[in-house]
Amino acid sequence: MTALLRTDQLSCRFGGLVAVSSVDLSVEAGHVHGLIGPNGAGKTTFLNLISGHIRQTGGTINFDGQDLGSMPPDLRAAAGIRRTFQNLRLFREMTAIENVMVGLHANTRSEVFSSLIRTSAQRWEEKDIAERARAALDFVGLLGSANTVAGSLSYGHQRLLEIARAFVGKPKLILADEPAAGLNGTEAGQLVGLIRRIQAAGVTMMLVEHHMEVVMRACDRITVLNYGKKLADGSPADIRDHSGVIEAYLGTKPVYTRSEHHRTAEARHAAH
Amino acid sequence: MQSTAVRVFVLAVFAVVPFIQTNTYWQHVFGVALIGAILALGLQLLIGMAGLLSLGQGAFYGIGAYVSAVLTLRFGMPFTLAFLAAGLVAALSSLLLVPIVKLPGSSLAVATLGFNIIMYLIMLNEDWATGGSYGLLNVPLPRIFGFEFTTERDLYFLILAVAVLVYLALDRLTHSRFGRALKAISQDEDAARACGISIIHYKSKCFLVAAFTAGIAGSLYAHHARYLNPNDFTFNKSIEILIMVVVGGLGSLPGAVIGAIVIVLMPEILRSSGELRLILFGALVVVLMGVSRGGIAGLAPILVDRMSRYRPPAGGKGVESGELKR
Repeated sequence: MTALLRTDQLSCRFGGLVAVSSVDLSVEAGHVHGLIGPNGAGKTTFLNLISGHIRQTGGTINFDGQDLGSMPPDLRAAAGIRRTFQNLRLFREMTAIENVMVGLHANTRSEVFSSLIRTSAQRWEEKDIAERARAALDFVGLLGSANTVAGSLSYGHQRLLEIARAFVGKPKLILADEPAAGLNGTEAGQLVGLIRRIQAAGVTMMLVEHHMEVVMRACDRITVLNYGKKLADGSPADIRDHSGVIEAYLGTKPVYTRSEHHRTAEARHAAH
Repeated sequence: MQSTAVRVFVLAVFAVVPFIQTNTYWQHVFGVALIGAILALGLQLLIGMAGLLSLGQGAFYGIGAYVSAVLTLRFGMPFTLAFLAAGLVAALSSLLLVPIVKLPGSSLAVATLGFNIIMYLIMLNEDWATGGSYGLLNVPLPRIFGFEFTTERDLYFLILAVAVLVYLALDRLTHSRFGRALKAISQDEDAARACGISIIHYKSKCFLVAAFTAGIAGSLYAHHARYLNPNDFTFNKSIEILIMVVVGGLGSLPGAVIGAIVIVLMPEILRSSGELRLILFGALVVVLMGVSRGGIAGLAPILVDRMSRYRPPAGGKGVESGELKR
């Protein structure tokens, strides 16, 4: 197994606030890697650092054997890193298929001049873009809405469209920021199936998610962040049983239900 | 989608206009309107597609006009070459804007307006090249492969040909990878970057194409008006082009053409109302914007909507559901 993505002491500071603090993390090629943690743990900041939308203040990011340094997001996209956003960032006034076609930008080349004189290469490429975009829409189950304006799709469909836009170029890595947010139970179940199919297509995924069922069912490995630091790292089973993770989510004081409390009091009484 | 039939019909209408109206003054005005259409098409790419509010198109228009006039007048260059040089020099000078293309909306508008003011001052003060406030007289008539465009009708057809080419070119660009990238940038820059689109690169290219368009429009103006004065290229010109685009309809290429024709012809048509004409003109623009935010191009869907909702008044009540819900 080789690591597709490796961060070394990755840190990000906003003024006095340390959003991500010296995180070492490695994502195996072909894995779905979960990134979980309480609100404000630095998960989205971590994704923004990997996609290049925010610059790190310390540490390094190595992707596919290459140090990303201060590479801008558009070049990272060309290198094979695509993402979705926590608060849907679609091109709302463009149709669904146009959104997905833009997702192929980094995979295609025709420019102003070739578009003006419609070279045969440009016409071939346009056809290819349209075909691949339709295939990607079909992949997420949105082919029927290809010509619908993105902003008027239902919330769940907008989430799927964002995934199609990230997936269409068959990148090496997709960073998905809370794809299950706002989905109902059925939709969340379908999302797990979609994530598995993306994985089967040979795309590695990094998944930031609050929906525990999705995380536990879809991920091969999970990293837990808390206050910007790495708290735990392991298989879904390891994470479920990790005491520190439970503490981070639920607090440190032991919580008793009323009946348990009574039982312990009775037990104490019986012991006397 | 516009069918080829509609395009051919519209082109035919434009082609017969100078045969119906044989008055050379009006033929000249129609030529001016088509030059305005080329300018508006260029700005439509910036504002309507890429969402870049530029108030500097008047400067590139002026650069193109002076380059073409000086090259033909002083260096005897053939019109065809001077015409292309006008576009290229205007496009190259747009590279001066690269450092500011990333500015957000209103800052970009003011910065490009500043650029226009600087270019105006250069045209005004560099007498050795531009003739200063005296301007340039007797710019030669266009001549292509020995054919000289002498009558107003000839000139009209030359301008029409260029306008058609510019329209088709921008239509192709709109439906290309380049056009989609511009639209993506105008709607969400972060998402566009995540798709691999370099913001500075595409915004600069958009300015470049728009400046080229304004530059060739300037060349046509120089050889159509045959007299250049820096006052034709103040930021008022940029604002006039902006009005054309907004009145015609943001984001619509046919809208840009219609907007330009309306803005150029309206004051001429209203000339009979004497001193009131500019007030009337202003009022019409205000009313139009109030009725349709999509400009004239946005009027058609609104009218169709009203017609389809109209029910013959039963019991005296009229079209209550026809209210605009904007």
